[in-house]
Amino acid sequence: MGSAEQMGSVIETDVLIVGGGLAGLNAAIAAAEHGVSVVIMDKGGIARSGAMGGGIDHFTAYLETGEEWDTREAYLQNLGKVARGAVDLKVHNAIYCRELKGSIERLARIGNPLTQPDGTFYRTRSMGRDGPLSINFNGKKLKPRLADEVRRLGVRALEKVMTTSLLTRDGQVIGAMGFSIRTGDLHVVHAKATVLSTGRVDRLFETPTGIPFNTWQCPSDTGGAQAMAFRAGAALANMEYVLVSVVPKGFSAAGLNGLTGMGARLVNALGEEYMIRYHPHGSRAPRFKLAEGALTEIREGRGPIYVDCRHLSPAELEHLNMTLGYDKDTLPDFVRQKGIDLAKDPLELQVSEGAIGGPTGGLGSGIMIDERSAATVPGLFAGGDCTDQAGTCAPSVTSGYAAGKQAAKYASTVSSKKEIDWEQAAAERARVLAPMETKPGVHYREIEDVVQKIMWQGVGPARNELGLRKAIEKLDSVEPHLGDIGARDYHELMRANETRDLVLIGKIMASCALYRKESRFGAAHFRVDYPKTDDENWLGLVAARRNGEQIETSLKRLSYEMPEP
Amino acid sequence: MPPVFDAGKCDGCGICDLHCPIDVIAIDEERRLAFARYSEECWHCGSCRQDCPTGAVDIVFPKKMLLV
Ligand SMILES: Cc1cc2nc3c(=O)[nH]c(=O)nc-3n(C[C@H](O)[C@H](O)[C@H](O)COP(=O)(O)OP(=O)(O)OC[C@H]3O[C@@H](n4cnc5c(N)ncnc54)[C@H](O)[C@@H]3O)c2cc1C
Ligand code: SF4
Ligand code: SF4
Repeated sequence: MGSAEQMGSVIETDVLIVGGGLAGLNAAIAAAEHGVSVVIMDKGGIARSGAMGGGIDHFTAYLETGEEWDTREAYLQNLGKVARGAVDLKVHNAIYCRELKGSIERLARIGNPLTQPDGTFYRTRSMGRDGPLSINFNGKKLKPRLADEVRRLGVRALEKVMTTSLLTRDGQVIGAMGFSIRTGDLHVVHAKATVLSTGRVDRLFETPTGIPFNTWQCPSDTGGAQAMAFRAGAALANMEYVLVSVVPKGFSAAGLNGLTGMGARLVNALGEEYMIRYHPHGSRAPRFKLAEGALTEIREGRGPIYVDCRHLSPAELEHLNMTLGYDKDTLPDFVRQKGIDLAKDPLELQVSEGAIGGPTGGLGSGIMIDERSAATVPGLFAGGDCTDQAGTCAPSVTSGYAAGKQAAKYASTVSSKKEIDWEQAAAERARVLAPMETKPGVHYREIEDVVQKIMWQGVGPARNELGLRKAIEKLDSVEPHLGDIGARDYHELMRANETRDLVLIGKIMASCALYRKESRFGAAHFRVDYPKTDDENWLGLVAARRNGEQIETSLKRLSYEMPEP
Repeated sequence: MPPVFDAGKCDGCGICDLHCPIDVIAIDEERRLAFARYSEECWHCGSCRQDCPTGAVDIVFPKKMLLV
């Protein structure tokens, strides 16, 4: 039997935010502004944790300047085209469009405006958009400024605390628990409403350099929210899509968007700007098209591929050199240490490892949310990359804020919290801490390496029925070996629990990919056995839900009318 | 493997440790010095270098990443 005493500290709060990244900190601000008590749990320190802690450089927004491409309607129309079959325009309208103006103002208010020093917006056209909808800005201090604001509002942050499990009672989420990755102390947070915002799923696929943490997106984001929500009964969507990008050879780093946004060209071994063959926007095509183009060029023997900046004007090159590190702080170091001068040398590229992070820009993969940012389980809300309807910078800011606001509103309607089920908590504690007792135990890497190979071989950018079925079978056979993982300290305990989540997420991804018998979004979901996009049968979201120990998949159809402002 | 800490500059304040998103860094309390306890997990994000008040951190990419 479990009891409160055995569990270490129990913290009471109105709103709990799991994951203090870009979405989570905006959620915390919204909830605190609403006057409720707020607690954040994060694996890292909130000043720099998550994907963009070290900096970020473009924010997608329409600004209603009078240009025809610069309106809410044009934005949604474009998204309805490029993300057709994955975006629910009503939900995206609620969590992005309605919050956009306020979010741009908020970032300026907290001290990291999106404007240049002269007060204007520097706008460029990039990846799959109809007009220059990318605001380029210096986001090196964005995360620390958000963290300052969160602390100013009196939010309590539990840092270096990994959340492992949601607490439920009578089918309702009533908080979460986790442990300190330094001391092992258990933290039970009892909340009226819970927001999940732990980002994308990385470390699920083998990396091209063989260095597991050399990933394009954040290797600390391993699908914690998706796994815990699924276990608690919530539906997930957009989980079948594999996100691959084109990155510098040797360094899986963000930042290419900044180069192509300035007019840099992607060229192949024959010197052709090959992307023209794949998309009318050429080197500024949507990311899934860039991945498809690169994979095809290399497969068909026209690699290596490069990004070429040599034709840019001195002024453009100067701007580029100044801003290259805004996104990935160390990209200029890498280029320099490699001995490359972008004015004179093309930079070789490679196709990155896979991740789960939305089929295309603006969207995510994970917890299925509605117009009130609510998951399909009461008491649970979500924002950012771990949801099905928001992803990348701007939608994470806006959807995080929306989720925090909705969670606070919901919390205000809850007069008394349901009691914690201590037996459930004790069982979770035993499960989570088990690797500390496994001696000698295998290192988590040994199992995770296997998972990553299975995923890249069977569930990567080209898939078929047999390969997907085999991947699921193999993941099933990995599962019993999770119990062999031993942890020598609490940092390794975190890794062991991440590996466990990755196996579940991998199975969900493969199951959704198996279910969707068509291809969609280029390399993101290419079924060799069903190579065509089939809107008649598949225009919608594949939802995955837990049914006992089974993964149940179903289609939620989508239609494309313009939603009301 | 990165990051590389300059023992002459580092005073063990612990900021890089708190701010590392991957939990790579630890502080040797006796020597008051930061070190990369899990260097193979470094993401090369540069946050430790950005926030170090004494400029003690250098990011050096491993040959495996530079030479391929
Ligand atoms: C280098 C880089 C540059 C980028 N630049 C751009 C850009 O210019 N424009 C753009 O649109 N997008 C950009 N992106 C993408 C963008 O950063 C993400 O879409 C955005 O940060 C998502 O916000 P999020 O809050 O959902 O996830 P994150 O910001 O990654 O936050 C997730 C948080 O959850 C925490 N966490 C994870 N699991 C757990 C757990 N189990 N328990 C507790 N805490 C947990 C993490 O520590 C982290 O703090 C970039 C990404 C990278 C990596
Ligand atoms: S932030 Fe700098 S001075 Fe402080 S511990 Fe880290 S390396 Fe040392
Ligand atoms: S570069 Fe980033 S991941 Fe590596 S030690 Fe520094 S803060 Fe941590």
